[in-house]
Amino acid sequence: MRFHTVIVGGGLSGLVAGVTLARTGKRVAIVSSGQSSLHFNGGSLELLGALPDGTAVQRPLEAAASLPEEHPYAKIGVSRLPQLAADAAKLLATVGMPMQGDVSVNHYRLTPMGVAKPAWLTMGDYVTLERPDVLPWNNVLLVNVAGFMDFPVNFVAHGLREMGATVRVEELDVEPLAARRASATEMRAANLAKSLVSGSAVSRLASAINEVAGDNDEVVLMPAVLGLDDDHAVTMLRAQVSKPLHMVATLPPAVPGARLHTTLRHYFQMLGGTYLMGDTVQRGTFEGNRLTGVHTAKLADTVLQADNYVMAGGSFLSRGLMANYERVYEPVLDLDVTAPTDRAQWTRYGVFNQQPYMSFGVSVDRQFHALKGGEPLDNVYAVGSILGGHDPVKMGDGTGVAMLTALAVAQQIIDN
Amino acid sequence: MAERTQLTSISEDNFEQCLKCSICTVYCPVSAVTTAYPGPKQAGPDGERYRLKDPHYYDEALKLCLNCKRCEVACPSGVRVGDIIQKARMKHQGHGPKLRDMMLASTDLVGSMATLVAPIANFTVGLKPVKAVMHSVLGIDKHRTFPAYASTKFETWFRRHAQQEQGRFMRHVSYFHGCYVNYNYPQLGKDLVAVMNALGYGVHLLDKEKCCGVALIANGMYGQARRQAQTNIESMSTSVTRDRRPVITTSSTCTFTMRDEYEHVLGLDTAGVRDSLSLATRYIFNLIDEGKVRLAFRSDYKRHMAYHTACHMQRMGWAIYSIELLRLIPGLQLDVLESQCCGIAGTYGFKRENYETSQAIGSGLFAAVEQADPEVVVTDCETCKWQIEMSTGKRVMNPISVLAEALDLEATAALNK
Amino acid sequence: MVNEEIYNQRYDVIVIGGGATGAGTARDCAMRGLKVLLVEREDFTNGATGRNHGLLHSGARYAVTDGESAAECISENMILRKIARHCVEETDGLFITLPEDDLGYQSTFVEACGRAGIRAEVLDPEEARRLEPSVNPEIIGAVRVPDASVDPFRLTVANVIDAKLHGAQALTYHEVVGLVVNQNRVEGVKLLDHGTGRTIEVHAEVVVNAAGIWGQRLAKLAGVTINMFPAKGALLIFGHRVNKMVINRCRKPANADILVPDDTVCVIGTTSDRVPIDTVDDMRVTDEEVEVLLREGEKLAPALATTRILRAYAGVRPLVAADDDPTGRSISRGIVCLDHEKRDGLAGFVTITGGKMMTYRLMAEEVTDLVCAKLGVTAECRTAITPLPGSEPEAAAETTPRFGRKAAVGRHGTMAHQIMADTMADRALVCECEGVSVAEIKYAIEHQHVNSLLNLRRRTRVGMGTCQGKLCACRAASLMGRLSGNVPQAEAHLGEFLDERWKGVKPIAWGNTLREAQLTATIYQGLCGLDKALARKEDKQ
Repeated sequence: MRFHTVIVGGGLSGLVAGVTLARTGKRVAIVSSGQSSLHFNGGSLELLGALPDGTAVQRPLEAAASLPEEHPYAKIGVSRLPQLAADAAKLLATVGMPMQGDVSVNHYRLTPMGVAKPAWLTMGDYVTLERPDVLPWNNVLLVNVAGFMDFPVNFVAHGLREMGATVRVEELDVEPLAARRASATEMRAANLAKSLVSGSAVSRLASAINEVAGDNDEVVLMPAVLGLDDDHAVTMLRAQVSKPLHMVATLPPAVPGARLHTTLRHYFQMLGGTYLMGDTVQRGTFEGNRLTGVHTAKLADTVLQADNYVMAGGSFLSRGLMANYERVYEPVLDLDVTAPTDRAQWTRYGVFNQQPYMSFGVSVDRQFHALKGGEPLDNVYAVGSILGGHDPVKMGDGTGVAMLTALAVAQQIIDN
Repeated sequence: MAERTQLTSISEDNFEQCLKCSICTVYCPVSAVTTAYPGPKQAGPDGERYRLKDPHYYDEALKLCLNCKRCEVACPSGVRVGDIIQKARMKHQGHGPKLRDMMLASTDLVGSMATLVAPIANFTVGLKPVKAVMHSVLGIDKHRTFPAYASTKFETWFRRHAQQEQGRFMRHVSYFHGCYVNYNYPQLGKDLVAVMNALGYGVHLLDKEKCCGVALIANGMYGQARRQAQTNIESMSTSVTRDRRPVITTSSTCTFTMRDEYEHVLGLDTAGVRDSLSLATRYIFNLIDEGKVRLAFRSDYKRHMAYHTACHMQRMGWAIYSIELLRLIPGLQLDVLESQCCGIAGTYGFKRENYETSQAIGSGLFAAVEQADPEVVVTDCETCKWQIEMSTGKRVMNPISVLAEALDLEATAALNK
Repeated sequence: MVNEEIYNQRYDVIVIGGGATGAGTARDCAMRGLKVLLVEREDFTNGATGRNHGLLHSGARYAVTDGESAAECISENMILRKIARHCVEETDGLFITLPEDDLGYQSTFVEACGRAGIRAEVLDPEEARRLEPSVNPEIIGAVRVPDASVDPFRLTVANVIDAKLHGAQALTYHEVVGLVVNQNRVEGVKLLDHGTGRTIEVHAEVVVNAAGIWGQRLAKLAGVTINMFPAKGALLIFGHRVNKMVINRCRKPANADILVPDDTVCVIGTTSDRVPIDTVDDMRVTDEEVEVLLREGEKLAPALATTRILRAYAGVRPLVAADDDPTGRSISRGIVCLDHEKRDGLAGFVTITGGKMMTYRLMAEEVTDLVCAKLGVTAECRTAITPLPGSEPEAAAETTPRFGRKAAVGRHGTMAHQIMADTMADRALVCECEGVSVAEIKYAIEHQHVNSLLNLRRRTRVGMGTCQGKLCACRAASLMGRLSGNVPQAEAHLGEFLDERWKGVKPIAWGNTLREAQLTATIYQGLCGLDKALARKEDKQ
């Protein structure tokens, strides 16, 4: 089966590359080994939140200039970042994902534990703050769904109070959400969202919120338990609640991240892209420095052939990288990986310390050609979390790297 | 030692790969609509650790699993969540199947008997009093209409009208037609023969074909399922090795059952036949892709259709073949619907206790069908066909029937002489 | 009772050390009518009790080398099966001979077992493979013995609960920082309350040192000398059960020769290395230990080579120097019960040490006999015949379809009746891997001395499953914060919990374990910003 480009990995970076290429009419296939790590995303994308030494970043594009050369942004070239960031924002708007945020200065998202963390773009219906320590409101009504444990409402309330707000917490015991409590395990954000699709369900929730909202409350914050596939339910709810209403992300699987994924995938498929969900690329066939085809677990003898291949399989948790007792490796093509052979150097004691394995990744040249046996492959690129050179958890740059490297590579492929 | 230390984790159904990320729970159609089911993570890998400790931790609610395998498709870690659940049911389920379940599961036996008296059977099961008895006594939901039984079985038709001429072709395949084609809808089998003949392939029946057993597995009749599976594996093996004929099918569920469930759930060795067993759309697509056959379409063909990816089709990852094949038809406007479960899951939706759950699960798909408003819904699964026809009133066709309709069979035959 | 009231009582006996021995001693003393206070500087089972195999020895392991210990083991083994039914799983054990081992040892072993009263049945290797499919198929010999697995956390807490039911008091996070000594008589202890930072004196007729490896330091506070030889033992926990029976090597005891099925997991161990006494508070498993455990473990059950490892941990055996050896080099075997009045002229102070977790009850009985003799109490020991709370015979076994309930009954035995799961909200599972409900957590907090998430883990298995606390740690922390009203503390406990989990993961961080760790970091630090929440607290201080 022939394609212009085959993308290995269907998460944020794979989809951004796929959409960018498919928009130019290219025939693109994405092979995705299950659902992506966007399901752990709370509705914000981040460009750069901190430097490698931990210094907080306010102006990510300016701060990017001081990043070490192994950082993917340095590879892209700092001068290209503003344009790519603008393209990324535009792409999200085009697919139907309106975002808040200004690339020149970070805003702050509110986490499921009530912490303000730097962000670049945040979904329209979620909390954004201008500063990490001050809230734009004095009186906050924080609601939770009774019995919903994936939103530590007291932690969020505490965090908001630390920022100086007066917080009232109310638990809503409202159908059809209350009925979900009958399950000991499945009262999860996504399942609540599936109960909050119809107009009547949303209206019930809206009246329950309005009932507890007091005159003093300036804003209502609630866990992100609606809007799994689109923003219809959220829009309906916001229209019916008497106060300004914003979502706060929950513990995963997170509704906003799942929505972002679904939205991008739908758009990609609408453009005619082929998205092979639940299949895994197992190996490739090479001719010299060119990859000529990849084999998947399910298509078996049907080889996926393409002019270009983009490796977007993510880091360890997504199995884009693997580690065993002996080594760190890239499991599909056995690409070169930057990681010490001594296992003791992969990790450090202290769970909150910077962990070396977080920065491991596939070796690439400055055009993001993946290296194999020390040589760059002509038509294989690596983008997103499979790249090393930075710690996305500590630096707050994972989604930014995913989008910008994907865009950079997709544009390079188009220009070729 | 056979394995080097800690190079990889090997466990049955990859159950140890589970990171407890819970993504599978987002894509379970059952727990989306009922709280009685503990969800794929709890029923699967979580429960399995406890069942390994002591079978007494088995939870009867596992019977609510549809076996749609959407948890497996969603799993980023390759865990065969659905297989874990099916195997747990097989190992630990407390009681034997009910009469109703045995009836629903014995597609071969009931089909053979019904075909003999098709008009009466069709008439009888459609009668209100009969439906009421089936509903209350047997627990087969009254809303359900049994698919009509054909008066002539496909096999009978084939032997009388088609078998003789198959020898004249240069290349050959065997056809596993399945119960549905044989008893309820021989036309699909006839379409398959027509299309394959036009492509220059002779079509043959297997020496002996038994129901694939999907309904037996679903209803806990594992011994019977295993016996039938063994017969099928032997027949297919004979076809592949003795006759050098690959085996093709027109049912995604039969294909999935024989390729994957035989090995993963029933523990049978399918190595000799698995790679040679394919859905007809995949087989034909690959022939085209490799330049071995060419198609000529009717110039007057103009239809608007919507393709529904059945659960097992999604699990096999083969929807791409049917879709790509349909996209070759010049006059066909094809909408590809978001893959979601229709709720019938074989015999599941026929059971009175599951009717509401079944329809609630399918509601998303029905809405999508209504929105797309095609003339025809296309799918590779026969039970999805019943469910979609009953629930949306749309006509539902198998891609092979669409192909048979859209091809200029004579011109195609001429191209592939 | 509030702590203040506890401090102000005068006790017959204060037992120091919340391991199995201390808890068992508190129970025995209380059952004989003594007024008892049990004090523990950290959490119950924090020492060697909570860091071993969880093996209910049949005694077979010691049969050849130490017949006395072997006899003690089998006798206690049979007792614990009865009195601690809900903590014991009757798995039986195999002693296997591999081609590299001397099959001749088997007959020596079986004879020794016979002398010690341990049923030892020689099996055909074929039969052994059938009974235990995970066993190394190359075995040339196998002996079946009545080994079993025991949950030391449950066992210890059940002893504490019973002690309290008999009128004892117990304090955790109370460290003995000094002894009240008056004219060669110990009259009480100086306690540092780690919760408040206060130091309190509490008085008693007799003080029992049951502090395990920390007993050396404690003795020093009393001005007497006990020489301990800390022997570090490292173990690995695998993600699920590979074996149904305990698997041992039939040879002289060596490294990594026991594989025990414990609850939902299995454990291989141990190594044995002398370590300096000043390192016993922070045991870390080294790469070399991991390698030995894997290399030897695979020989018992080859599947371990490809089974996911959950974590590594290490404990310290409190081996005691023999009193009769002036060089202080040789180690006492078995139980050591020291009457410091006789030995050192210090009245009101006794030490119980040596022994094994397995023989905790017998140790408790010996030291309680001594305490009673000192106090002139003649009551007889009944701990061997009285079931622990949770293990009482039950009229009718509880049948329930719910997983969480079944898991709770598995953990708490008949005490599970007290877990009030009447509402849907209380039945919700906090920890899905281990089936721990909101109700069970509330119960543990109310009845089982739970001050932190780490304590809760030991009582309920929260966070002990495959993911080591992916969602449940946050859910449980939030719930604890809600019950205590102290959110910063709950957040701090969450941080501590994750760090403690990571300490166990770090030595084996590869494969799925590393993937899991990355996902945990992505959720707690990336998505949630827990690290920032904790830093916020530090900034304020």
